[in-house]
Amino acid sequence: MGAGLSMAEAAPRFEMRGIRRTFPGVVALDDVSFSCAAGEVHALCGENGAGKSTLIKVLGGVHQPDAGTILLDGKPVRLNHPLEARRHGISIIHQELSLLPERSVADNIYVGREPGRLGLLDRAAMRAGAETWLRRFGCRFGADAVAGSLSIAEQQVVEIAKALVFNARILVMDEPTAALDETETERLLALVRQLRAEGVAIVFISHRMRHLFAVADTITVLKDGKLVGTRPRGATSPEEIVRMMVGRELKDYYPARRARAPGAPVLTVAGGGNEWIEGIGFELYPGEIVAVAGLEGSGKAALGRAIFGAAPFSRGQMVVGGQAVRPNTPLDAIRLGIGYVSDDRKAEGLALRQSVLENALLAMRGIAAIFSRPGRTAPRGRGIDQLLREVDVRAAGYDQQIRLLSGGNQQKTVLARWLALAPRILVCAEPTRGIDVAAKAAIYRLLRAYADSGKAVLTITSDLPEAIGIADRLLVMHEGRLAGELPAGATEEDVVALAAGHQFEAAPA
Amino acid sequence: MTAIGSAARFAPVRLLGRIHPSYAALLVLLIAIAFLTPNFLSPLGVMAFLRRGASLAIVSVGQLFVLSMGGFDLSVGSLITLAVMGSALMINNDPALTWHAIALVYLMGIGSGLFLGLVVSYLKVPSIIASLGALLSIKGVALAWSGGSPQGYLPDNFRQFGRVTYHDVPIIQVLPMSVVVLAVFVAICAWLFHGTTFGRLALIVGDNPRAADLAGVRVRLVRIVGFLVSAVSAVTAGILLGGFAGPAQDVGDGFELQAIAANVLGGTQLLGGRGSVAGVVAGSLTLTALFTVLNLIGLPKPLRDAVQGGILIAAVAYSVRRQGWEK
Ligand SMILES: Nc1ncnc2c1ncn2[C@@H]1O[C@H](COP(=O)(O)OP(=O)(O)OP(=O)(O)O)[C@@H](O)[C@H]1O
Ligand SMILES: [Mg+2]
Repeated sequence: MGAGLSMAEAAPRFEMRGIRRTFPGVVALDDVSFSCAAGEVHALCGENGAGKSTLIKVLGGVHQPDAGTILLDGKPVRLNHPLEARRHGISIIHQELSLLPERSVADNIYVGREPGRLGLLDRAAMRAGAETWLRRFGCRFGADAVAGSLSIAEQQVVEIAKALVFNARILVMDEPTAALDETETERLLALVRQLRAEGVAIVFISHRMRHLFAVADTITVLKDGKLVGTRPRGATSPEEIVRMMVGRELKDYYPARRARAPGAPVLTVAGGGNEWIEGIGFELYPGEIVAVAGLEGSGKAALGRAIFGAAPFSRGQMVVGGQAVRPNTPLDAIRLGIGYVSDDRKAEGLALRQSVLENALLAMRGIAAIFSRPGRTAPRGRGIDQLLREVDVRAAGYDQQIRLLSGGNQQKTVLARWLALAPRILVCAEPTRGIDVAAKAAIYRLLRAYADSGKAVLTITSDLPEAIGIADRLLVMHEGRLAGELPAGATEEDVVALAAGHQFEAAPA
Repeated sequence: MTAIGSAARFAPVRLLGRIHPSYAALLVLLIAIAFLTPNFLSPLGVMAFLRRGASLAIVSVGQLFVLSMGGFDLSVGSLITLAVMGSALMINNDPALTWHAIALVYLMGIGSGLFLGLVVSYLKVPSIIASLGALLSIKGVALAWSGGSPQGYLPDNFRQFGRVTYHDVPIIQVLPMSVVVLAVFVAICAWLFHGTTFGRLALIVGDNPRAADLAGVRVRLVRIVGFLVSAVSAVTAGILLGGFAGPAQDVGDGFELQAIAANVLGGTQLLGGRGSVAGVVAGSLTLTALFTVLNLIGLPKPLRDAVQGGILIAAVAYSVRRQGWEK
């Protein structure tokens, strides 16, 4: 064997050896090795806080390792700055979306490397280049759309285009599918396969086993900053990966449903509509979890916002607890006993630089008298500390800034914020977006326990298995209208058919 | 729980971290002053220093309420001028009118703060623009009212707040009334900022107004109260300055920038989300000490202004760097 040559050929596109990275009080990565060859899709998974994002931030020059080396095509390099990584063809789509909300899609895609002639911006080239990428992804918006007006899923697509527009040799995607619905995910996975065929080395981070197994060649699991193992996809199973991630068998992923005592609905909507939705009519009963499914743009997010008064109904009726109401602001809705967990945790849910405690107390603060003493006790008399312990928020301390927590712990904090008020209706938009399997199971248990305590939960989710697994009933939306209702035990095919707008002669009872 | 216990143990350290650059600078400057003026380290010297710094400390603490929620209030300087000039004109040599005048200038301040708060929160005009507009119109009103030159005269019962010093006080020997005003004002603001729901909401609104709104926080009300506190602080500072320096058309000039600089030095995050009353008081005293030193070494006024501008930029640059390190 001509050792020299074949060795060079066999050298992975990048290799990280013995990486260690600490933050004050945490070892985020401890002796982690990770590599990816040209034309390989290497999936990275692990619980929230396992160190996945930190590892790829080291690769992207965002963080410098305390120990360990990085080799590109077999040669050691030092990446002191994200720009250096970019020069080496490393392109990273970070978990936190970072578009400039006021600028156009084209501006965002080309930010920092605008094409130009003689120092003048070549806007036509930018727009044409951007359109090419948007078409490739089958987008419904154009290059001139303002980034801030796009949905999260659409923004995600722009981030992807932004990463791809200069020819990336190494592409890292940190939870690209978290915000995407099934169709968009399929499109993304197809794109990933295409890039793999073009010889790009791809790192793919996701909490959804289905997506990992649909696209990965190799799967690496991290736990508590340490490498648990690397497996070729063919030699492992979702069960094994979950076991490696969690460290134990995960049982009762979806909590058992309990028969609900019949009673009056706590919420009735009839003929509800506004700019985005039309003719919405349904009832919500105490003790049940109802999931709203539908494609991105079907109006399911708008429905949640309408009920919560963030983008109120302008038509139709809404009855809460037997009384006709019309919440026009979130505060109105909260006073009626409605809570809302936003699908955009960072932009709409958290005050990132405030403590876990202040974030958990926020809804209570909102209704408190403005010059009152800032208390720590929920109206039901439970201390917020106790509540945070019950929902199992893990932090160095509850006065730690919330931005330093993992996504799952941030989400549990937002849930605790609403549980503290004990609203009779809790609307949760994408309650498990970007959080790990164990935390998901914990959130399902929390929501089920909340429903069992006699409250009603309306979850809005693009994660079909989740909708089916957790709900007592499913409402499916299509183009701003309710396309139908399905009982527990519906199959994914049933939901997909309704969501795609197929009409049935005789709708299932 | 041990995890929480350890975090509590570190809280004072973190607090120190938040305000220490200001404290360090303050210490160095105080030592410099002590060298330059022999009797500085006596109760008399310290009280004279506090009296000089009182008005800036008061507007700076007021400014904290707007900065912490992500805004700016540039109108405070001209509001100070209006308070001084307006009082002089209204009192018009009649000491019996002093209290009426004080009540009226507070009303004007409240009106201006309310107006700014409403414009910013309902018309969504960026506060830096809205308050810049207010700066110009308030200044215009003050000048037009006084006919372009300082008029009237402030009687002793008005000037006492800035000028009177109680003697024979135990331990500290002397106590200027302005220091009492400062202490009371700072105590009220510390309570508002650190001891009420409003204070927590101010920081949250500064951090993420959208999240605050979606959690039921009355964001507009919080913003309006912030501008009110800032306006009231400006009028209070004006009353002290009127007593201290007498009526002049430029008494308030530059106070808005100094107040912002004091905040930056004191660890307030520009664009919101962070700040403390103690830090801002330290920051404003640092600036006062700096001006004192510049004065003592005999720098002429234009040069002092130039140095002050440079320091403002340096302080902001430093604070931005420091926030960068935290990431
Ligand atoms: N800038 C930072 N300062 C302090 N601690 C940090 C910082 N960034 C990450 N950490 C900590 O390092 C650990 C690993 O975090 P990381 O973001 O890499 O997790 P992750 O695997 O990406 O989790 P998730 O699935 O929630 O995205 C966590 O304990 C986190 O709190
Ligand atoms: Mg991550």
